[in-house]
Amino acid sequence: MLKVEKTFETRELNVNMGPQHPATHGVLRLVLDIDGETIVKVTPYVGYLHRGIEKLGESLSYFQALPLTDRMDYVSAMSNNIGYCVAVEKLFGIEAPERAKFIRTIVGEMSRIANHLLWLATHALDIGAMTVFLYCFREREWILDLYEMICGARLTVTYPRIGGVRNDVPQEFLESLWKFTDEFPSRILEYETLIDQNRIWLKRTVGIGVISAEEAVNWGMTGPTLRGSGIPYDIRKHAPYDAYDKVDFDVPIGTEGDTYDRYRCRMLELRQSNRIIRQCIEKLPKGPIMADAPKFTLQPKDAMFPVTHPTKQHAYYIEEKVCKGCGMCLRACPAKAITGEKKKPHKIDQAICLQCANCLAVCKFKGLKIVPGGKGLSEDKLKELAAAPLPEEITKATEHLVEHFTFVKRGPRAPEGELYVATEVPKGELGFYFVSDGSGKPYRMRVRAPSFIHAGCLPRLCVGHLVADVIAAIGTIDIVLGECDR
Amino acid sequence: MTVREIVKRFTFIEIFQGMALTLKRMFSHAVTIQYPKERRHIAPGFRGQHALAKNQAGQAKCVGCGLCATICPSQCIHIARAKGQVDKYEIDILRCIYCGFCVEACPYGAIVLTENYEYSDYKKENIYMKKDKLLSNWDKYMPGKKGEEYFKKFWRPMSDDFGTPPIQAVWRGKKQ
Repeated sequence: MLKVEKTFETRELNVNMGPQHPATHGVLRLVLDIDGETIVKVTPYVGYLHRGIEKLGESLSYFQALPLTDRMDYVSAMSNNIGYCVAVEKLFGIEAPERAKFIRTIVGEMSRIANHLLWLATHALDIGAMTVFLYCFREREWILDLYEMICGARLTVTYPRIGGVRNDVPQEFLESLWKFTDEFPSRILEYETLIDQNRIWLKRTVGIGVISAEEAVNWGMTGPTLRGSGIPYDIRKHAPYDAYDKVDFDVPIGTEGDTYDRYRCRMLELRQSNRIIRQCIEKLPKGPIMADAPKFTLQPKDAMFPVTHPTKQHAYYIEEKVCKGCGMCLRACPAKAITGEKKKPHKIDQAICLQCANCLAVCKFKGLKIVPGGKGLSEDKLKELAAAPLPEEITKATEHLVEHFTFVKRGPRAPEGELYVATEVPKGELGFYFVSDGSGKPYRMRVRAPSFIHAGCLPRLCVGHLVADVIAAIGTIDIVLGECDR
Repeated sequence: MTVREIVKRFTFIEIFQGMALTLKRMFSHAVTIQYPKERRHIAPGFRGQHALAKNQAGQAKCVGCGLCATICPSQCIHIARAKGQVDKYEIDILRCIYCGFCVEACPYGAIVLTENYEYSDYKKENIYMKKDKLLSNWDKYMPGKKGEEYFKKFWRPMSDDFGTPPIQAVWRGKKQ
């Protein structure tokens, strides 16, 4: 009998894909175990873009932490802002006015379009279709220009505010956006002409990364990634926030749960977003854009004018009779103009005083008085003037000013408790979980980022396919590493 | 396989449709701009480089209350006072995230974000903004009425935002 000697044995090859690979959407690192061209095992490594946003949120007030959410999913920053604001509003127990809700719905859907366009562009580019990439960016630029018109920034918008939006939309914005929604469906057809039936596109997407409905739920998928498997789960429908319960739209779902179905889902979502924007523009009501909740929003600037207007030459004076000498103003004064011992009346050195009103904001005993037009007067004269009652407009403005200083320095105080609020961002379910200890800063801020959970599904989608299909799988789950690593 | 699919497969029809589209687009206007020669239109209220506002007498409006430094999420504003004046007002531009909160927090309307976005430099000192540079930015980028207009439109919130102003943007076209 012939005996064959075993001269060599094969083992799986270990390959690093990323973090510098252009198709890994940023800095995702995948360690692939491959047998020839077939994937045996995938291990995603995340954290290259970790900036500690959750921890940073604990050291910033609820108001200040808003720009952090821009930097999570920078592709659809607006949706992230809205998600944060909706969550914090629920924590505070306030509600944005009707007009603000409609504006937020409009900009949120714009961000969905912008996100899906960038997804389509990069996904198609990864798979090999260059022209779609250029066409998608053409429309995305349009949306970013519209963003610039309303809030002055294109990418990191910081447009919504807790209890409303930053400023009202101008008329040109509505006109230009309407023109966009008129033209956009024909642009979607253009992308579809290029890739929808293209044989290369079909070969790269049909039957790749198939996941059944049950498994997709078990893996925690949300958004279009889940809907591609045929589950019509959409937070906009199931737990409507903003104005989604006042507009009519469908939730497109797929059947097979492969890469092509998820692509079709997102293409149909583009059309639905377009439809939502058109309805919202038509229905946009007149009214306030900020909630009437004085403790939780910035104070109106013009209400403070009688005190803060630069033409007013006010002086600040401490009444000896009222001052208890608690030392609050002494510590608050940035110029160190206030002197005095504990439990004895304090005194303001008028030569050093900046007239900045910091002391006014902290005085609990109303011992600090504004002396209208008293700048540069002598001490005796000030004492005389301070005894006179103040005009009503100044008293009112002072109240606003004190509220404003307290808001900025301490942050809006949330009631104690914990809460989880989820919103539908283009990538899936973005959840914010707050634990509040009653102060102006969250005790704990946890973000449920869809990208992180989808990145965890990669091994399930890739195993058994070829190396080139990993790129298609990364594209199809639509991850942004800024959000994944936070 | 149906006849239709066979025809599709052998005539390359979808490929030719796509190529026809790209050919058509070759004759449309370019959407790109040649940057240093052409510039894009910057919308008013753009959040670019900072400037310290001046009043009509030409003095800085800033009183040095420090609210901007308090609210700044990236803590890039440094203020020092001496003898009843703002001695030092510095913005570390490289830390700034352009959220515009300093403008919103300032009760005195003393700081603005201008439309300037081209200020890269070889030296770090030139990007670290001192008080006189910030004041000169006001003359440079917010001349005449422009500064006033900025405060009217972008210094928010105002009382209008909490109520219904007489002029508000609504859809005026046909409803479908």
